[in-house]
Amino acid sequence: TAAAPRPWRLFGAMCLLRLPRITQPLEKEEEEMAALMGQIELEKSLYSDHEIRKLEEEQQLRRRKESAYDDDDEAPGKTVIMAQDLEDKWEQKLLQFEAAPRITDADKNNNRTSLNRKLDSNLMLLVKQKIGNQELWLLPQVEWQPGETLRSTAERAMAMFLGDHVQAKILGNAPYGIYKYKFPRAIRTEDNVGAKVFFFKAFLQSTDLSQAELKEDYLWVTKDELGDYLKSEYLKKVNRFLLD
Amino acid sequence: AESMSPKSVPPHALCSFSFLSSWLPQTVPFRGSHWQTSLLAFRASLPMRAQPKKKKKVDVKREQAQKDRMKKKIKKLEKAAPEMIPIEDFITPLKYSDSNRVRSLPPLSFEETERRVLLMKKWCLFKQKQDKAEKKAIQTLLEAQQEALKELRLESEELYQAAIRRDEGLFPFERDGPNYTPPLPGYDPPEGKCVDITKVYTQ
Repeated sequence: TAAAPRPWRLFGAMCLLRLPRITQPLEKEEEEMAALMGQIELEKSLYSDHEIRKLEEEQQLRRRKESAYDDDDEAPGKTVIMAQDLEDKWEQKLLQFEAAPRITDADKNNNRTSLNRKLDSNLMLLVKQKIGNQELWLLPQVEWQPGETLRSTAERAMAMFLGDHVQAKILGNAPYGIYKYKFPRAIRTEDNVGAKVFFFKAFLQSTDLSQAELKEDYLWVTKDELGDYLKSEYLKKVNRFLLD
Repeated sequence: AESMSPKSVPPHALCSFSFLSSWLPQTVPFRGSHWQTSLLAFRASLPMRAQPKKKKKVDVKREQAQKDRMKKKIKKLEKAAPEMIPIEDFITPLKYSDSNRVRSLPPLSFEETERRVLLMKKWCLFKQKQDKAEKKAIQTLLEAQQEALKELRLESEELYQAAIRRDEGLFPFERDGPNYTPPLPGYDPPEGKCVDITKVYTQ
């Protein structure tokens, strides 16, 4: 069957997400609730072995101080480790450990090209592409070629901008969103009315992209920062399929 | 004429032989009967010699009866319900029912209880709003996807069919959740061995 020439050109775009690496900070209500839950748990609990040991040792100390006991009779030459000493030792050990900071250097410099920024939220890849005669910031897209599925078009788009060694988990065969626009009247013809861009979502799984050679300008931005770069209509459609 | 001397004991006297051995003080091994050819082959020869005296039917019947009894016992055991595997979390060990374990805390003041109740209500509202927002986001996600599929169908049927197809490689999908701090580069964790002492029950 001869297919009628369709007026829309098809593009496949890939929305590559770097998932968060650390937990988001708790809201005020969440923190209050967490504190309350801790208190209730403490009230409903029984004494543990360590606490009983601590209480008994405190009692012994008090008795010794009051009655001016002679220690040497009780424990000749034996060094008794008190529960309190153990707790102090553990506290010291904890203070010695230094965890990696949650706010990285890239955060402080606001270096939007690095992946180490904003570790608690999703980051999306944006590239600067030439559409018509304009240079626009877009999700990486590439024109569909007959003979391939749209998903492979999106994969090709990703490979074109990030190289072959990128590992990403594409979430399913179906597109997540669509943006269609008509070409400006000057370029519009009978056969070429406009373009439809189908968006696919993928999770970035390879941790370092040092091997990727990006020829164009690229950025990793969060959902809130998308507004700085994308056009309003495009942004509206993209925001629909992005969960924060 | 039978005598009770050790040398001439009648051959079929099994029980009388044991009686003989019990009251004889000497420890010298002797032949139980003149049917015995050597001193060392004591145990083997006696029953063999005695077998032709027993009837075969009684033996077979006894053995069969024994087997049936064993089978009945096995069936009874199998019919009995399998023992439940105890859930160790639900059984409080006895050492935690001591009275000295009970925590002694001052009772809650009226303001504290009020504060707690109000906080619970605020939390309820907060969670409700959060849940509604999540559901709304999922709804818009689904709508966007349906719209995209509709447009795709208008474009080409085969692409649409390819898009609807189930993605086999997607599940099972595993991912490590986010931690509180990012991983420390070049961190050398202390050496240690973890020994698993969980009890495993088989039914």
